[in-house]
Amino acid sequence: MVISKVEMERKSWTTRVEAKKKTIESVQGLVDGVIIPTKRIVEVLERLIKPGDRVVLEGNNQKQASFLSKSLVQVDPKKVHDLHMIISSISRPEHLDLFEYGIARKIDFSYAGPQSLRIAQMIEDGKIELGDLHTYIELYGRLFVDLIPQVALVAADKADRYGNLYTGPNTEETPTLVEATAFRDGIVIVQVNEIVDELPRVDIPSSWVDFVVVADEPYELEPLFTRDPRHITDIQILQAMMIIRGIYEKHGVKSLNHGIGFNTAAVELLLPTYGESLGLKGKICTNWVLNPHPTLIPAIESGWVESVYCFGGELGMEKYIEARRDIFFTGKDGSLRSNRTLAQLAGQYAVDLFIGSTLQMDALGNSSTVTRGRVAGYGGAPNMGHNPGGRRHATDAWYNLKTSDDPLARGKKLVVQVAETFQEANKPVFVESLDAIHVKDQAKLRVAPVMIYGEDVTHIVTEEGIAYLYKSDSMAERREMIAAIAGVTPIGMEHNPKSTEKLREKGLIAMPEDLGIRRSDAKRSLLAAKNIDELVQWSGGLYNPPARFRSW
Amino acid sequence: MKSAFLFPGQGSQYEGMLYDLPEDPAVKEILKESEEILNISIDSLHTKEALSSTKAVQQCLLIASVSALKVFEKNGLIPDFVAGHSVGAFGAAVASGVISFETALKLVTKRGELMEKAYDLGYGMAVVLGLDEYKLSEIVNELFDEKEPVYVSNRNAPTQITLSGSIKGLERVIEYVKANGATSAHLLNVSTPSHCPLFQQVSEELKKELDNCELKNPKIPISSNINSRLLTTADAVKEDLAKSICYPVRWHDAVNLLYEMGAKCMIEMPPGNVLSKLAQQAFPLVQTMSVTMNGIDDCLYVMSNQ
Repeated sequence: MVISKVEMERKSWTTRVEAKKKTIESVQGLVDGVIIPTKRIVEVLERLIKPGDRVVLEGNNQKQASFLSKSLVQVDPKKVHDLHMIISSISRPEHLDLFEYGIARKIDFSYAGPQSLRIAQMIEDGKIELGDLHTYIELYGRLFVDLIPQVALVAADKADRYGNLYTGPNTEETPTLVEATAFRDGIVIVQVNEIVDELPRVDIPSSWVDFVVVADEPYELEPLFTRDPRHITDIQILQAMMIIRGIYEKHGVKSLNHGIGFNTAAVELLLPTYGESLGLKGKICTNWVLNPHPTLIPAIESGWVESVYCFGGELGMEKYIEARRDIFFTGKDGSLRSNRTLAQLAGQYAVDLFIGSTLQMDALGNSSTVTRGRVAGYGGAPNMGHNPGGRRHATDAWYNLKTSDDPLARGKKLVVQVAETFQEANKPVFVESLDAIHVKDQAKLRVAPVMIYGEDVTHIVTEEGIAYLYKSDSMAERREMIAAIAGVTPIGMEHNPKSTEKLREKGLIAMPEDLGIRRSDAKRSLLAAKNIDELVQWSGGLYNPPARFRSW
Repeated sequence: MKSAFLFPGQGSQYEGMLYDLPEDPAVKEILKESEEILNISIDSLHTKEALSSTKAVQQCLLIASVSALKVFEKNGLIPDFVAGHSVGAFGAAVASGVISFETALKLVTKRGELMEKAYDLGYGMAVVLGLDEYKLSEIVNELFDEKEPVYVSNRNAPTQITLSGSIKGLERVIEYVKANGATSAHLLNVSTPSHCPLFQQVSEELKKELDNCELKNPKIPISSNINSRLLTTADAVKEDLAKSICYPVRWHDAVNLLYEMGAKCMIEMPPGNVLSKLAQQAFPLVQTMSVTMNGIDDCLYVMSNQ
């Protein structure tokens, strides 16, 4: 018997790295080692990016790879088209111009607040193919699964001539985007403000980086987390007092994340005054996962804070952070190291509490910040604002939320939503049906863009009181609790004064007086700093606020 | 930094407004041209009596805003975007090079005439503050009466919205909304039910007029009245100019779109400062100015530093 020789076709297992080699060879005449001359960026992008590529473009909500995005819109759509863009925060006009010009076709993103009208219009007009709206961790996770990028366009402060990068205080999501691309034979292109001989420190090593280009102007940076205490109202101070007494003190909340509302800024500014008077220093609010909020300065200076881990930097806080090295995560060079992915994970799994503001909440506690006619996405709140089922470690606050004696009973992450019962212009916060449902239909989304689900919310705080939702499994009772603190909104009008009394007796809701708080004490004079200038004074002149926040 | 010019609509006019225009040969030229086209003296156009007519109001608004525009153009100062509220859209179309000033003046004259003769004294407009468009639409639909029709019209700000229709119907809605959440509601000094289906016929007539005009593609993108999109073709501009009179002006969205497109400086052409005030309230980070309030010199200075 003769066995005929079957020619086994040899399968290549290295197609991607070979393709990458060819692509990089195609720009050899245009680049100088790893350095792309600034003026040739468009030409180089036209060769490095192929039609249909998945391109992750760095658009944090603070740092923006603005030179690369402005360059990408200049490529010839005949050469580069049908791109699938992945942008965590759609913040700049050119992010959407890519779709108007026929360069890109599809988008996956987390947050689009600064472009929320235009993206809604483009979805309606069929000009943009919508992938999904994600929370940050989801989007970053998918970069390693089913949204693996072929190209990464990111921003750093400085590079050396080998392509080592210094991202400095605003490291944010850069390492994550680069990692997903570099280790899967994608092409990593970095804009830097300057090339220097020696970096202050290396945040990303050169072996992860293919090309560096010096931007024509420094990358854009927005001071998104600065809240001027001048705008904090007495009602927000009342809410802050209730939060400190009725939640932080009650449950012993030591580790936490704050949203960017004025009510949580008020909490930060009440710690050294009201919090101090309650003898809570060292007992609450010691370990933070938080951007460097200027309003945290008085608490830090008063010795309340042990550690702060940051998602990103904040304009004007650089010198202060360097001078408070014991508190912040800093490099050998002294400047802040931030990391959005790790901070989101820490905020999801490792802290006792997340607290944020909402614009709308339904009778079951589902909350949303969407407005009709706008597609704004989520950002980080839903990651931190839920009870992660994978959690196993029991801090005091987490364990304190255990409500049964079952031998397998667990504690719970504290997820607090704070709102005034009415927004501006008489819009009730508590509503029968969320605008998110309209937006779902308008934008043809599969899932309504709910920010935080009612099942995850443990506490709601309004100017009327606190509802301790975690204490009840009964939907009817939870609804009654919400109605009891919903003021004169349509939901609030449902409540019956008798059942409210019962809920108070059972400790399911608490009014300010139940917490020993007199409404008349909630005054701006309690704030440790009443304006930006006083924050600067607290910082010993180290905080250098951006021009728009200066009033002197 | 990108910039936008805003062109005001009805409501911004005032007696003697054309005497407040910048001292500039370019302005004098437009005024002279207007006198020739209309065969009327400018002095008689903006008297108190004259401004009781919709036609004169629209003529004056266009003349005032294009006069100032010409001063910017003469200095080589061209915005990145333009937008005009209602009749202001004709000034924006001139700025964008879609139609000539002469064509625009003839069109607004016709538009004013058509509007004036469409309805008798029993019609007008009102403004409601403190309710959003969804809540207000719900109420207006609920109270709708075919004999005394009322429609939600211009979205000037998220909670500053106009109503158009029969005076009696408007009065009924005003009374209701005052007791149900509005912070303020009152009739406007306007004798036409603009920007609602009652002007369907006017819109069709205006379309015919526009069909006889030569329109060029915009040199500067225009943010539109009807659906707050950027207009980039002559046909799209024509449709917006014709239809706007029988559709609500989505002004807040039109300006919001410019903000998202990167316009961080907005300058309102004369007369008045209604639009710059709205922009300032909605977008505090935008630098807003008006030629009427800030003076032409300051506006020229700011534009030349964009």
